[in-house]
This record gives sequence, C-alpha cells and structure tokens, in this order.
Amino acid sequence: MSQLTDMHSAGSRVEERRMLRASAADFVAHTVDHKRTRERRNVLPGYDRSVLKEIAGLGWNGILVPERFGGLGLGFAEMAIVLEELGKGLLAEPITASFVLGTRSLLHGDNPALKDALLAKIADGVLLPSVAWQEDAGGLDASAINTRAENTEDAVRISGRKRFVSGAGAADGFIVSARLGHDIGLYWVERDAPGLDLVYEWRADGTPSAILTLSDVTVKKSAMVASPDVGLRAVNRAIDETAVMVCAEMCGVMRATLDMTLEYMRTRVQFGKPIGSFQALQHRVVDLYVQQELAGAVLNEATALLDGDCDELIRARTASRAKARACEAGLRIARDAVQFHGAIAIQDECNVGLYLKRALVLSAWLGNAGEHRRRFASLSMAA
Amino acid sequence: MNVIAEKSKRNWNALDDGHFRAEAIAFIEKNLPQELRFMKRRALWEEMKHWYLAMAADGWLVPNWPVEYGGMGLTPAKQLIWVEELERRGAPLGVVQGPINLGPVLIAQGTEEQRRKYLPKILSGEHRWCQGYSEPNAGSDLASLRTEARLEGDEFIIKGSKIWTSMAFDANHMYALVRTDKTVKKQAGISFLMIDMEQPGVVVRPIRNIMGHFEQCEVFLDNARTHRSNLVGKLNEGWTISNSLLGFERIYNGSPRHCVNALTHLERAARLTGKINDPVFIDRLTQLNFDVLDLGSAYESFAQTLREGGSFGNEVSLLKIWATETCQRITELLIETAGDAGGLFGDVAFGNEHVDVVLPFLESRVLTIYGGSSQVQRNILSKSTLNLPS
Repeated sequence: MSQLTDMHSAGSRVEERRMLRASAADFVAHTVDHKRTRERRNVLPGYDRSVLKEIAGLGWNGILVPERFGGLGLGFAEMAIVLEELGKGLLAEPITASFVLGTRSLLHGDNPALKDALLAKIADGVLLPSVAWQEDAGGLDASAINTRAENTEDAVRISGRKRFVSGAGAADGFIVSARLGHDIGLYWVERDAPGLDLVYEWRADGTPSAILTLSDVTVKKSAMVASPDVGLRAVNRAIDETAVMVCAEMCGVMRATLDMTLEYMRTRVQFGKPIGSFQALQHRVVDLYVQQELAGAVLNEATALLDGDCDELIRARTASRAKARACEAGLRIARDAVQFHGAIAIQDECNVGLYLKRALVLSAWLGNAGEHRRRFASLSMAA
Repeated sequence: MNVIAEKSKRNWNALDDGHFRAEAIAFIEKNLPQELRFMKRRALWEEMKHWYLAMAADGWLVPNWPVEYGGMGLTPAKQLIWVEELERRGAPLGVVQGPINLGPVLIAQGTEEQRRKYLPKILSGEHRWCQGYSEPNAGSDLASLRTEARLEGDEFIIKGSKIWTSMAFDANHMYALVRTDKTVKKQAGISFLMIDMEQPGVVVRPIRNIMGHFEQCEVFLDNARTHRSNLVGKLNEGWTISNSLLGFERIYNGSPRHCVNALTHLERAARLTGKINDPVFIDRLTQLNFDVLDLGSAYESFAQTLREGGSFGNEVSLLKIWATETCQRITELLIETAGDAGGLFGDVAFGNEHVDVVLPFLESRVLTIYGGSSQVQRNILSKSTLNLPS
C-alpha cells in the first residue's frame, strides 16, 4: 500500500521517492545478514557501526534535518520510505532514536546556537544523539517526570533517573528532559559528563535500552535545547513524529514477515500439498494482509499530515491511530508467522523469531496499541 | 431522450471538485424529500419515483453513463463526490439495477438495437429491473446455476428459479444468468438474458427477512419466454459479461458508510446509557473508531488511484472484508451496550430518546454475505493477490 501511495505524491517527487525506495531496497539487499543480526545481539552498541556509517554516507541520517543545518531537508514521507526498507532487513537501529527523536527534539527546541553546533555534525554522521525523556514508570506523559533541573549562577544542575532510553549504545550525548518548576526543559548532556551513569537493560531483540542516572550533572546554560517555555511541546511533537516513523519501520518488519510466511506456505508440503492450499490458512493469512494494508494506509495519511501544516491535536490523534494499528498489525503478523512456520520458528536459527522480537520492541517503544487507544480517547474528549 | 441529452451536455468533469460538489448538494437538497432520507427499509418504487424521475431528467440518475445515452459521463472522481453527498443525506437505494448494472452492461457489451430499446426506458422508469443471479443451489458457487434457457425458433424458453432477487416485486424486467450449455465447464455454458417479467411464466414470491421486511424474492421461471434478441453478448458468454465490474463499483462495497452509520447509533446508545464514561467501553469504542478511520485511509488510497485514472486488482476486496466485519463488531457492541434493551425490537426508549438497536445489528449480518461473501473475498485475495496455491 505504501508503494501505491508513493504514486500519489505530487509531481516530480513521485520519481524521487521511487528512486529513494529503490536505493534503500538495494542497500538492504546487499547489507542484510541475519547471521550478523544474531551476532550483534546483547552487545553494545546494538547495531553494526559500519552499516550506520554507510547510512550516514548516503545522507539518510539527515533526511529530517533542514538543509541550512547541513541535512537533506526532505520530509517524513522520505524518512518513512527509508525506514520501511531498512525495517525489512532489521537494519533500522538506531535511526529512529537518533535521527528522528534526537534531531527533531533539537529542531523543535529554541536554542539556535546549539542547533547550529549539533545538527550539522549529526547530519554528517559524526555525532550521535539519544533522547532521555521517560522515567521509571514509562508511559506517554512527557510531563510526568521527577528529574529536576536547577539553575545555578552560570550553569544548570540536573539530577534524576531516566529509563527506556533508546539508541544510547554509542550515543555521544543525550537530550534529557528535566523539570524546572512546573515546566519541562530539554538539556544536552554529553556522554562523558561527570555525574552521568549509564546502565543497560536489554530488549527482546538484543538491542540496548539505557537507564541514565544523573547525579548533579552540570551543563552550561548554552546547552539548554529547549527552554521551559517550549520544552514540553517540543518533546511531545518529536515523540509524535518519531512514533509515526516507528510505524514505518514496523511496516517494513511486518511486510518482510508476511512475505516470508507466504513463501513458506507456497513451498512447505504436508499431507501431499503445499500448506498454502489449505483454506483455513489462506483465510487467516488474508486477514494478516488486511492488517498490513491498513497499517500502510494510516502510515501514509500520518506522514502526509506531518509533511503538511498540521494542527497539534490532529497530529497527536493521527500518530496514536497509526502507532496503535502498526503495533497490533505487526505483532499479530509476527505471532501468526511463528504459528504458520510451526516448530522451525521456535528455533533461533529461523529468521521469523528475529522479526517477532523486533516487533515486540517497536510495539513497546513510544506507546503500544492500548496506550495509544487511551491517549486517543482522552485527546478526543479534550477536543 | 432529447431533453435529457440537452441537460447533460454540460461538461461536468470540467468543474472543479468544490464547484461540482456544490451543484450535487444543491440538486439533492432541492429534490430529495425528508421522508426518503435514512429510511429503515428499502424504498418502494411508489415511494421514490418522483425522486428517480427528477434525477433522470437532469442526468443525475445515471451519472456514470456516457452523455449520448442520457448520462453525465462523470469520471470516477466526480462519481465519488456525488455518492458521498447522497450518502450523507441518506438517499434511498430503491430500483437501482437498471442504472447501475444493466445500463453499463448494455452500453459496453450490448448491441445498438438493445441500447435504443432499453436505455430510454430505464431513464423513464417504464422498465424497472431486478437481477436474477443466485439460485437455491447456486449462491457462492454461482457458476453452478441451473436455470436453463433453450432456444426454440426465435425465443428462449426458460425454466428454473432464482432466489435473493432484490426488489423483484417492484420490478417488471429481470436480467438473468441462465444455463445454455450443459456439456462444457460450468462457467462456459452461461448466457446473459433480458426477460420481461409481465408474463404468466414468471412468478415472484417476496421473502420476509429477519428484519421483518420484504426485500429479496424468489422468482420462478416456468416456461418463461424472451426473444433471442434479448441475449446480451454471445451465447455462452454470460459469465464474463456479468463479471465486468467497474472500478468505482468495486470500491463502493467497501466504503465506510455502513460503519459510520452504525457508529452514530452506538455512540448515541452509549451516551444515553452512560456507558460513554465507562473506561472499558471507551477502550472498545476507540478500537472501533480506529478500525473505521483506518478503513477510511485505505478507502481513500483506492479512491485516489481512481481519481488519478489508475486501476487496481483484486486487492480491493480487502475493503469489503474490513468494512463489513467492522460494521458487525460495531453493532455487536451496540447490542451489548443496550443491556436489557438489547433484546427489544424497533425504536427503544432510553429516557426520552430512542435508538434502534436490533435493526442495525440484523442489517449488518447481511453485509458479509451479499456482494460476494467474506469467505469468497478471502478466497479471491488469497489466490489472486497473495498467490497462494489452490
């Protein structure tokens, strides 16, 4: 379906997007290696540095960075195309964490000098950011945090504990949300800042999820990414944008999983017939296809909204709808893929398990289907 | 015919969408009476003929027909707009087979003689058509139909019976698929015939449905006759003719309209019972809202393809599956929300207001059966889109 909608884009962008997709697909075709996927599990940084270097070489880390900051200045439609293709090869870590959530948090902040200092380096592939906005209980409320920032005479002192930090494995610095009075500010904290401690929890797919403990970490006032006036809105917007981009990656994961399953159904013979000829399985897999297409359709609607002038409430509601669908579709397709493959899928050697576990990770991050239903409902009542 | 052709000579497709929509709205508001809006059952000819003829006079009855036959020659994009505005105002379906099905078939595959004979009478309402396809032993497996037509001299003699023929009691003509060769593969021995129902050999028996309405019928053909010139296309090529559905009709079956209507009933019932504040209900309602909105996104993608002059394959079947099964889930929650009143027929009182709970539920059961059942749609998708083996 996403391919269908590539064709709906205006004018010359159709051809550019087609080429971008072909280029990304090509990259994945010569890079994907699930032996490597298995080997890099539970090892920092959680992805292949050489792969990330190649991606930076292609400029994709700067897709969502405006040209004046050294990025490609493209849009969410383009980022979604790249993420979907990378998702098919389980090669998207840590793109969304660093090059969507990281760059967009910076961009939506109100510190021009810091943007100048950091964004060009990020676009160049020499600086890797990660965002620490959640705390122990998780959840989607970016204002429900205890980490505190205190203004001293010439600096800001930050203390607290952040959790569920994605893309931290080799991050050079963190955008940390902290409470200043009643408001939320965002601060750039270098990885080697004194008082910053990092430990890891490991996610189902073997990628790291960091816990940051800040004990009186001191940063310059010039390191304030977003002042308390705009901090909450900035991080909420970045979260919505990232959630939609995670949908794109999830669409890639689910497409690859479904394709793998269909191919298995065509070739696996039992009882003298390919199992794909059994109607019970045909009907069940059609329902998976329907979910895949629905996820693609709402993803396209969400990226179009993000690329246009979008009202905050509509953006948030659409991001929730997209994430809910992507999570449910992605997990359902992955679960059923295991079922359809039978016993072999329970073996680690079979790739299906890798996709199931990535789907689990993408579903849990930035709000699963249930959380987004709740958020959508409360946003709708507030409207 | 001349008067109609004059009015539809306007170049409607040249209007921008907003302007066209305004014209569509103006026409409907002027001509569609309140009592025909959002009817709970299919409108009868007697009830809707003024509306039908008003549309015919201006070309709106057959917007998809070419201008030279009395239509507006609208692009699918403009047709979509017209249908949206009709749906918004709950316009009745009524006697649609001529305008929607037979007309386009005759235009595409009939002879000029057949077009001259039959198309004007569709526009004038003199001929009202029903579709004789399904039989007691041929539903999903329509190709196994057994109603036979035997050529004797210049006439076909037809014997057999049709079932689920919608509004046959309101029609005076039927187009039917009949068997004309029993020696070949079943699809290869079917012909498409037009039959005048006003003859002794055609008997219509309306069937009471579970909604308590008469809509579908049995039609018994006992040595019914039709002239050989009423064969559409070649002998034994009826199956292909009947399968030629245009792009617009294919997405129409999967439009969000049933779901949107059902949701309004559900939300009202939830408000009136207080369930609208229950967190468990809210979660289930939100899921259904997502299901309908996502359907809308998918529908929009297919519609956009049509607008751009593109075409799509059998993947469009996913719309019907999702739209109809979602509508059922909505009406199931409606029954549950109504609690004790979930077993009451008709407009149920909730305080001073009323909601019909059971009728939407029963009507939604039909959706996954007619127009190609959900199971048949899945068979189609599985073979043709997912390339799974038979």
